[in-house]
Amino acid sequence: MATSVLLACGLNEQKLPGFVHISEESNVDGSFLISCILGQRLRISNAGTLIVCLQHHYQHYFNAGMRLGYNTNIFQGKTLGVIDVLSDMAGEGLTSKWLRRPDGQTLTEQLVEDIRVQVESNYSSRNSYTVLIDNLSILFNLGATKLQVQQFCQDLAALAKERDNLTVITKLSNSDIYQLTDNNVAKLGQVRIQVLRLKSGVFREVDGKLLIERVLDEGNYACEETRKEVLYKVNDRNVKVFTPGEIGVKV
Amino acid sequence: MTSFRKRTVQKPIRGTRTSPHTAQVITSSGNPYLDVVIGGGLPMGSICLVEEDRFMTHAKVLAKYFLAEGVLSKHEIFLGSLDDIPAEMLRRLPRPLTDLETEVEQREEQAGSGGAENGLRIAWRYNDLPLVNSEHATAKIGHHFNLMEQMDSMMLYYANTTMWDDSHKEPDIVIAEEFSKSSSPSLEQQPTEDAPPIPTLAAEETGAATEEKASAQEEGIAANNNNNINNNNTSSVATNTTSTKTDGSQQEPPQVFHNPRYGGLLNDIQQLLRDESFVAGTKKNLCRVCLTSVGSPLWYDENFGEDLIKFLTLLMASVRNCNSVCLITMPMHLIAKYDASLVPKIRQLVDYAIELESFAGSERETHPAFKEYSGLLHLHKMSALNTLAVHMPDTTDLAFKLRRKKFIIEKFHLPPELQESPKPDNCSAGRLLSSNSNATVSLDF
Repeated sequence: MATSVLLACGLNEQKLPGFVHISEESNVDGSFLISCILGQRLRISNAGTLIVCLQHHYQHYFNAGMRLGYNTNIFQGKTLGVIDVLSDMAGEGLTSKWLRRPDGQTLTEQLVEDIRVQVESNYSSRNSYTVLIDNLSILFNLGATKLQVQQFCQDLAALAKERDNLTVITKLSNSDIYQLTDNNVAKLGQVRIQVLRLKSGVFREVDGKLLIERVLDEGNYACEETRKEVLYKVNDRNVKVFTPGEIGVKV
Repeated sequence: MTSFRKRTVQKPIRGTRTSPHTAQVITSSGNPYLDVVIGGGLPMGSICLVEEDRFMTHAKVLAKYFLAEGVLSKHEIFLGSLDDIPAEMLRRLPRPLTDLETEVEQREEQAGSGGAENGLRIAWRYNDLPLVNSEHATAKIGHHFNLMEQMDSMMLYYANTTMWDDSHKEPDIVIAEEFSKSSSPSLEQQPTEDAPPIPTLAAEETGAATEEKASAQEEGIAANNNNNINNNNTSSVATNTTSTKTDGSQQEPPQVFHNPRYGGLLNDIQQLLRDESFVAGTKKNLCRVCLTSVGSPLWYDENFGEDLIKFLTLLMASVRNCNSVCLITMPMHLIAKYDASLVPKIRQLVDYAIELESFAGSERETHPAFKEYSGLLHLHKMSALNTLAVHMPDTTDLAFKLRRKKFIIEKFHLPPELQESPKPDNCSAGRLLSSNSNATVSLDF
């Protein structure tokens, strides 16, 4: 279903790098990556996952998961935790805690606190734990500043460093607009996946391009990193990956 | 004991069906041509953004289709606008065609496009190929409307509508007005309070709507009686909203927006969507939220961009959380001038972004290649909501034409060149077709 795209990104292993960042260019939808990663993590026995829903409701991940062959409802409350910010805001309206800022706490501080609580209550009983955040640009929309978002990501990266087998995966849309934040957040981790559109226009057989950058060894003076480029196509029930040159225009 | 269980299938909501491609519940946008382009209809919980053309003519037509479909399917309707008068807009919804009229129209279309006498005589084998205008395929949900005629006022009377035009009225005043309405046609009185710009209304009246104006004048007194009934209906809604506003002020809601209009509008929408009948999964009813000219100069203030993005984020959260669909029209060309970075941010917060590029006022209006069309339709975004993959139309080269009776969207094609053109390099239409591809950049695949 989604193995090929996870293989290409190097995210199909049981132990993931501490911090992974997904940058999404304007007008490109990279939500499928979150669904693919979520499915992979849920399939590992006794691996905990926490999803922070900022872009879509939990129901979206459930439906997308069903298409990819897994049922999130079975795992919810057991190995899967959900912080559904969107549903909270929809239900409570303008009095939602994400908008009200009680005790002078900022939105990002509140979110970090909630994530910390979830991690602390679940981490000890799990072999590994993954925190998925979809997506950071919504924090900007809700009034967070660049500094606050940067601090939020740094707190999460620190959380990942404190604990073994804890992975934080963030996604940022409109990376070309929030370029500075995007680069700074990407620097916190070892893997950066850029979801890019095709510069040559729309093509029926390919949706876009994934540029995967991975830091292999960060020495004192030199940094070894690899770059890989693949094309992807999101189908109804799977995601296909092609190497550049594999697909061409049929005349 | 047998293990037999009677299968109970929940009835779908009126005017919706399950898409065979995405297994999502979809509803018609009101325009059958647009439905075909977006894969059968708008999925439940989605937001469709229509980027207005410069004269705001065509986006309003699509909004009217959206509302008219809601009235016919007995959906709850929320209409909010600062630029237009919601009551006026509702009164001018197009009349639905009867089944017989629809059938006749379809037959006429088929005869016009592929009749035996108009068929190809030389390359006749092309007759077997599908038509260029294959967008004419009919959707299974939705209705057909006649833009020339207005919807019956009794239909509107029974429609559940909530309107918002930022008229902060005290409850006493509203009640007092209710009594005064019985003696005079209040639709003409309403605009005076906030004085929405008249030019927009004038712009709206162009094209197919010109005859509407004349017919409205002709109807005169006869129509006034119906309008009074209709206004009583809408004003009762206004009393409800004002009463809830006063309740909200007692609780001292936090200042989320710098511009209180956004807070007021969002509060009204959220209050409506919290109704039991729109709870996701209940399949009782659907709410259609239509907001026109959001982000127009009437919304401007110092924190315009910040407020607009925050408003759309919260709207997205509300619409996705229940049985509702939303259609927003926005003057994106003005927003782009205010702040170009707002455009991708806005498009990210909607599920469908459709730009209507009208030829009116441009050199293309008189260009022979475009004489058939009123403008081009650009599909900027189609996102996968509650699914993995998104529906892709056959082509993204689309054009629209506003005819007297209907708004047609079809594949854009150039007319056959029957005579040698003196300057073949000068054809701007050719350039337009290749506008997506960048000649200097090599292909990605």
